[in-house]
Amino acid sequence: MDSFYQALQLSFSVSAIGAVGLGTLIGLIFGAIPGLTFTVALALALPITFGMDAVAATGLLLGTYIGGMTGGSVSAILLGIPGTPSSAATVLDGYPLTRQGRASIALGTAVIVSTMGGLFSLVVMMVSVNIVSQIAIKFGPAEIFALVLFGMSTICGLSGKSMIKGLIAGALGLMVMTIGIDQIDGVNRMTFGSVNMLQGVNLLVAMIGLFAVPFIIDAFARYARGDKTLNLTGSLKAELPSFGILKANSWLIARCSAIGTAIGAIPGTGGAIAAFLAYDHARRFSGNPDRFGNGSIEGVIAPETANNAVTGGTLIPLLSLGIPGDPATAIVLAGLMVHGIIPGPAMFMNSAVEVYGIYIEVVLAYLFVLALQLLGIRLFVYVLRVPQHLLALVILVLCVVGSYSVRNSVFDIYTMAVIGVMAWGLIRLGIPITPVILGMVLGPTLENEFRTAMALSDGDWDIFYTSPVALAFFGFAALIVVLQSLSGIRLRRNAKLAEKSNA
Amino acid sequence: MLKSLTRLTTGVLAAAAIGMAGSVSATAADFPTKPVEMTVLFGGTANTIAQVLSELMTDELGNPVVPVSRPGGGGAVGYAFVQGSRPDGYNIVWNSNSINTSHHTGKIPFDYTAFEPVAQVSVETPALAVSSDKGWESLSDMAEAVKAMDGTLKVGISGKGSFTHLTSAALFDWMGIGDKVSYISYGDGKAPVELLAGRIDAAIQWPGQFKSYVDTNKISVLAVTGNERVDILPDVPTASEQGVDINITMWRGLAVPKGTPKEVIAKLESAAKAATESEKFKEASVNLGFTPAYLDASAFGDRIAKDDGFYQELLTSLGMTN
Repeated sequence: MDSFYQALQLSFSVSAIGAVGLGTLIGLIFGAIPGLTFTVALALALPITFGMDAVAATGLLLGTYIGGMTGGSVSAILLGIPGTPSSAATVLDGYPLTRQGRASIALGTAVIVSTMGGLFSLVVMMVSVNIVSQIAIKFGPAEIFALVLFGMSTICGLSGKSMIKGLIAGALGLMVMTIGIDQIDGVNRMTFGSVNMLQGVNLLVAMIGLFAVPFIIDAFARYARGDKTLNLTGSLKAELPSFGILKANSWLIARCSAIGTAIGAIPGTGGAIAAFLAYDHARRFSGNPDRFGNGSIEGVIAPETANNAVTGGTLIPLLSLGIPGDPATAIVLAGLMVHGIIPGPAMFMNSAVEVYGIYIEVVLAYLFVLALQLLGIRLFVYVLRVPQHLLALVILVLCVVGSYSVRNSVFDIYTMAVIGVMAWGLIRLGIPITPVILGMVLGPTLENEFRTAMALSDGDWDIFYTSPVALAFFGFAALIVVLQSLSGIRLRRNAKLAEKSNA
Repeated sequence: MLKSLTRLTTGVLAAAAIGMAGSVSATAADFPTKPVEMTVLFGGTANTIAQVLSELMTDELGNPVVPVSRPGGGGAVGYAFVQGSRPDGYNIVWNSNSINTSHHTGKIPFDYTAFEPVAQVSVETPALAVSSDKGWESLSDMAEAVKAMDGTLKVGISGKGSFTHLTSAALFDWMGIGDKVSYISYGDGKAPVELLAGRIDAAIQWPGQFKSYVDTNKISVLAVTGNERVDILPDVPTASEQGVDINITMWRGLAVPKGTPKEVIAKLESAAKAATESEKFKEASVNLGFTPAYLDASAFGDRIAKDDGFYQELLTSLGMTN
């Protein structure tokens, strides 16, 4: 208990609280602005922490991480452009809600459920870090491959009217990510002798192109046609979600928190997978699944709860095993190590004060997120009053700056532009964009874990069917595909019947 | 903190200005009159050391040294960027053995001679770990057991052609078990956990990654591959102490494009020396698990040239040269 009080004392110093607050603000801003990403914010914040004491330094980094994870939902809901890959699923229902004039409700709900998901996962982490990390260790390449394959099956639910078009989109995403040096054998793939192609397509750069460029092109096209309406109905009142919405969805929030925490605890997965699985799960178990995609508040609650529940989940392998789950947590890890906190099983013995400090700071960061974002909603919705063509111009500049800053590569700006124009073309062909991002998020993990598993088993397939965990996830994936096919057949039959009765 | 914040902002702004005002002429004697951009090729520890180093070099040079991350292509993208930049000392690269391996595996069309060495800054020594359940206590225990066993020893590495892969290959060849090893590639430092879970038998990674597991007696580290023991795991003997005559460490240092004026290199060299030998750098080295190891420009150049032959030979024997 002594270390807890000591941690409490250190965490409630002015500098530590200030650092958490500053971090949260930086994260929120970078997460909320389309084009800028919070991984970049973390990279910029890391050197600043060198001169700080350990508790304040971790506070700044954790604040940035958590603020960024939450901030991504702001532009996802307001503009349909996700600020982070984890908020890509939020676009599906968040943006339609904005178009119905309910932006502030969606934003308010998102931040409240984010906080709930985040705190839930923190509690899980505090009480069960050892057990959970023991279970997480059991997830080897074969199990992670099965889990990610299950994640791919959510494409079924994201395809809209045509499954074929959804699959085309998913396959495109998978293929784009094979460009560059392959991580297992170090072979150049589809680089055509160009050094710049060796770096491959960065997920963040691609995401900026996929969502922001079509928005920009459409806004300019509308302006050129002389269509100057704001394209928004309803009032811009900044009203907060009622307690009723939360109460009605409390069971959904609990389930999605659990999904997020569990996914986060498995190294090599991350917020985007959790958000898509939670969204798909919510749609499947919803009373009226048809409302999903057309502005269902549950479609915002599910991914936003899950992607923030990931934050506590990823801390489990990060602190207890020393494994970062994604690029963002890798930077947090570097920050811890500079201050002599070496994550791993010995951390809870050697650095108990810092561990408690981290718990307290996560809670503080969520309080800041809640306060800053609820106050911010009033401000955020004013973005919708800006004429769309001017807004598009600003976003265009941010996208160029943002895609450059991910890897300080001019080539990435071209990549963003090319992917963006292709995305615009896909949308015109009626091919949905969301499965593309899903393919891109999951593709590299899917491939690498599969190949590592096969290397482990010396090319024998039994590694996949002798693992009960892997079998369970294969089963879930198959179930979803079957259910989706059945409902597709039913829909078509109904349509035919309707045609006949009309004839 | 405020100081470093301001410095960061001025640094970033000034770095942006470099591109626009590249024509500003200044004599080598005034160097540096504007921020120096340090290209960093990798994330993780490499990036963190670079950030610490650049802060310390900023104090020495009086103008900001700004670390700019250009990852991708196993270092190829960043090397190509610096190699193609103006040789005036304002573009330096935080390099490593990857200059040798990237060239010989065909990732970059030029080799180390496209750069002038400035100074070696640090070395990192790979460590060989096995699960404690194996009961192996030395390299000879391991070699005997592996020779006697059926099937192959599964060894975790960070990817084919990575530094940990090359170290493993050299070590196991020397131990005479090279043909009984199969390599399993993992990214992001997952190898220690895979070892803990029993999916692999051994792993060659960095000592810092094993430290916490050694403290809790879950993993045994049998050897480090350099000539000297590492501070973070002082009880672990070197391979050569156990009769396996190899000395492989990953060096990191600074280089500039060929043709950079001698006076400019000398100024960077002395700033690197002061930074490397400072207390702050030592402190960071303990936490991050590397060893400060300053070498001046000519000694560093010799080392790179000598390593180049070694890695070419090793890569050829692995069939990975291009």
